[in-house]
Amino acid sequence: MTFLIRTIDFTASGREIIRDRTAEQKTLSIGRASENDIHLPDLAVEQNHATIRQSETGSLIVEAAGTMGFTHDGRKTSAATIDPSTGGELGFGAYRLQIAQDGDGPPAITISQVEAAPEADDNLAGFALTAALPSKRVMAWAGLAAILLAFLAIPIYTHLNRSTVTGDYDRAGQVVMDASWSTGALSTAHHGLEDNCEACHVEPFQSVRDETCLTCHEGIGDHAEIPRQNTGRGPLSKGDEIQWAIADMFGKEGQGSCTTCHTEHEGAGRMEPTAQKFCAECHDGMDSRLTDTALANAADFGDAHPQFQAVFHPTLGSDATARISLSKNPKEQHGLKFPHELHMNKAGGVARMASNIGAKQGYGDSLVCADCHTPTADKNSFLPVDMEENCESCHSLVYDRVGTTFRSLRHGNVAQMQADLRAMDRAPRRPVTTGRRRPGEYAQGGRYYQNFGRPARSYIAVNRALAPDGVCGECHIPTTNNGKADVMPVHLRDSYFMHGYFDHKAHEQEDCTTCHAADTSKSATDLLMPDIAICRDCHLGEQATQAEVPSSCAMCHSYHPSTVPGAPGKDKGRSDTVALISRKPD
Amino acid sequence: MASKADSSNFAQAEKRRDTDHESFLAHKRMRWLKISAVLCLIVVISYFLVDVEPRHNGGTWYGYTLGTIGALLIAWLSVLGIRKRNISEGKWSLKAWTSAHVYLGLALIVIGTMHTGFQLGWNVHTLAWALMMLVIVSGIYGISVYAALPRALSNNMREMTRKQMVEGLAALDRQLDSAAQPLDRMEADAVINATQQDAFRAGLLARLTGSYPRCATKRALKAFPDGALNKHEEKVASLLRKRKSQLGQIRRHMRYKALLEVWLFVHIPATIALLAALTAHIVSVFYYW
Repeated sequence: MTFLIRTIDFTASGREIIRDRTAEQKTLSIGRASENDIHLPDLAVEQNHATIRQSETGSLIVEAAGTMGFTHDGRKTSAATIDPSTGGELGFGAYRLQIAQDGDGPPAITISQVEAAPEADDNLAGFALTAALPSKRVMAWAGLAAILLAFLAIPIYTHLNRSTVTGDYDRAGQVVMDASWSTGALSTAHHGLEDNCEACHVEPFQSVRDETCLTCHEGIGDHAEIPRQNTGRGPLSKGDEIQWAIADMFGKEGQGSCTTCHTEHEGAGRMEPTAQKFCAECHDGMDSRLTDTALANAADFGDAHPQFQAVFHPTLGSDATARISLSKNPKEQHGLKFPHELHMNKAGGVARMASNIGAKQGYGDSLVCADCHTPTADKNSFLPVDMEENCESCHSLVYDRVGTTFRSLRHGNVAQMQADLRAMDRAPRRPVTTGRRRPGEYAQGGRYYQNFGRPARSYIAVNRALAPDGVCGECHIPTTNNGKADVMPVHLRDSYFMHGYFDHKAHEQEDCTTCHAADTSKSATDLLMPDIAICRDCHLGEQATQAEVPSSCAMCHSYHPSTVPGAPGKDKGRSDTVALISRKPD
Repeated sequence: MASKADSSNFAQAEKRRDTDHESFLAHKRMRWLKISAVLCLIVVISYFLVDVEPRHNGGTWYGYTLGTIGALLIAWLSVLGIRKRNISEGKWSLKAWTSAHVYLGLALIVIGTMHTGFQLGWNVHTLAWALMMLVIVSGIYGISVYAALPRALSNNMREMTRKQMVEGLAALDRQLDSAAQPLDRMEADAVINATQQDAFRAGLLARLTGSYPRCATKRALKAFPDGALNKHEEKVASLLRKRKSQLGQIRRHMRYKALLEVWLFVHIPATIALLAALTAHIVSVFYYW
C-alpha cells in the first residue's frame, strides 16, 4: 500500500516549499510524536492522534487513536471514511490534511498549516435576519418620524399659520393633512365642510363653540328663554354631574350647547336624530319646576306622553278655533253635511252611483278615500277637498240643457246661483193660452219661439235650492244672512296638530281607516284624527325595542323654533328646521 | 433543628427550580391569562350593557374610558423593551412581566377594538388601531414560532455549530479549488462562481422561503451532467454536490432563524410607530376638540 505524502511549508519570505515522499505501508499514524508517519508539531495534537488505513474498496478509513477527535470537512468526528477519488479534508489542530487521488496513482495526502484563523464571528452574523433587513432601530425611528411629521407636525403647523377668513361652506380649508384627523364622514347637511375642518375647529384645543355653529345657522332661535330652560332642566343625576365636571375640565362648553345634542362625524347620511333623553331632561316632570307652564309632562312616547290636542272649529259658522284633547271627544263644526260612513258604504246608494258612473270618473264599485282626497306632490299630506273636483261628479249642479250642453250653477256664490236660476228661460212653461198656436217660426220649436209664461218653476227652484232638501242643502246647512237665504260658511282645516309632524308618505303601507275611523263615522262632526293609543300600536319610546318602531321625540317634534322672531326673510318653515331634517325620509 | 432547616432549604430550592423551568405563558398558573380574560369579559359585557348616544365610538364617556385604559396599557406594554434589559426576581420578575405583557397585550385586542366602536376609516385614529393590531398579531406569531421552530432548528444543526457549518463549507471550497485545477475554462468558471457566491448574501424573501433560484452551486452542477464526465470532473461534481448539501443545511438554518426573528422586525418598529400614531391620535382629538 502506497501513500503519497506532500508537505507544503512556507519560508519566512512567504515562498512555498513543497516536499513529496511516498510511504509504503498499510497504516499511517498521525500525531505529535516524532515517530509518527505524519508528524504534526502542534500542541493541540495528541502524541498518537489518529491512524489512516485503506479498506479493500480503496477508501481511506481515518480513526482517532484516543478520545480526541479531528475534523472532517469542517465537522468534528472521531472516525471518517473518505473516498480518495472524491477527496476530503481532515483537520488536526492547526494542520490540514487534504486527501486526493490522481487517476490510478496512490492516494495523496497534502499537509499544510493554517494560520490560526480569526474568529469567524463576522461570518456567523450572516445567519441572523439582521443581515438581510435594515436594523429595527432604523425602521422604528423612520416610522416614528414619518408618522409624527405627516399626522401631527404638518396639520398643526398649517393650522397655526393659516390666514383667518370668515367661514365659507363652499371653500376648501387651508390646513394640510387634517383629513387624516377626521373620525368619520360628516352628515349630508355638513358635507360641504368635509375638506374644511377649521371652519368648525377654529381654535386649537377648544371644543366646537355655539357661536361657530351660529355663523351659518343664524336663523336658529332658542327653544325657550335660557333662564326658563335652566329652571326646567332640573338637577343633574350623579353620573351626569361627574361627566359634566370632566367635560368642563376639558373645556367643553356645557349643557345646552349645540354639540350636547348634535354629534357629528357619525358617517355620511342624515345627521343622527337627537336622543330622547335630551328632551326628557327637562320635559319629564317639568310642571313641578316650571309651575306656570302650559305644557304637559312628556318623557317617552310609549308611556309618558299626553293625549294629542287637536286644533279645530268648534262653533258652527265661526272661524274661531279651539285646541282640545282628543280624549274629550271634540265635535268639529266645519259647516258641511258629510257622513263618511254613508259615502264609504259598500252597498248603499252612493256605491250604486259610484259604480254607475265609475267608468267615466275612475271610481270602483264603491267610493274609497282616494276618490276624494288627493295627496300633495311629496305625498306627505293632502290637498284640500275641492267641490268641483271631488264632489260634483255625483252632486251635480246642472240645472239646464241647451242642445247637447249642460249648464251648471256656479259653486261658492249664492247670489250668482240665484241669478242663474232666475234667468233659466228655456224651461218648458205652461202656455198662456190654450188651443192656439203661434204661426210659423214663432211657434214652439220654431226659430223665433219665445216663452212669455210665468217663471214659476225657476222661482220654485231658487227657493228650493237653499231649502234643507234643495240642491245646496244636500251638503250645506241653510241659514239666513241679513234676511236673505244663505248657507253656513264652511271652515275646513288643513292640519289639526300644532307641534307634531306627521308624514303620510312614511305610512303609505297602512290603510287610511287603520288610523282614521271614517268608515264608521255617521256624523260630519266627528273629528277623525287618531288618538295617541292608535299611534302606540306601532310607535313606542326610543328605548322600547319590542315596539315595531321605537320612536324618539325628534321623530315628530322639532326642538328649534323655525325662526328667530323678527328675523328677515324667514317665515314658517317647520319642516325645514334642523331637527326635522334628520327624520324626513330621503 | 439543623435537619429541619436543611429540608426547608431543600424545599425552597426545589420550588425555585420548578419556577425556573416554568414557561412565562404558564407563570403562576396562568395568573395573567385569568386577569386578562376577566378584563376582556368586563369590557365586552359592559360594551353591550352601557347605552351611549348616539352609538358606541371613541367619543363617548365609555369610549374615552376604554381609550384611556388602552393608551396606558400600550405605554406600559412597550416598556418591556427597557424592562427586559434589567433582569430581576420575585414578584416583579422579568418572567412575570413577560407573562403580563403577553396576556394584557392580547386583552388589548378587545379593549382597543371596543374603544373604536367598530368605526374604522382612513385616518390617523384607525392607523393607530391598525398598528396596534399589527403589533399584537406579530407578537402572537412570535410566540407560536418560538413554540414550534427551535426543535426543527436544532434537528437541522445535527450537532454542528454554526461555525462548523461555515468551516465545512470553506473546507469544501478549498478542495474544490484544488480539484478543479485540471478543468477547462468553462467548467472552472462554474466552480469559481459557486465558491465565490456568499452563502449569506440572501434577501428577506429567500431567507423566509428557503428558495434560492440563483444558486451558483446548483448552476455549476448543471455544467457537470451525469454520464459524460472524466475522473476530474466526476470529483468536482461530487464536491459540488457536497457543497450543495452543506449549503442546504446553512440555508435551512437561516430560514428557521429568519422565521424566528422576523416577527421582531415587525413588532419593534411597529410598536414605536404605534406610539407615534397614538400620540398623533390623542393630540389630534384634543386639538380639534
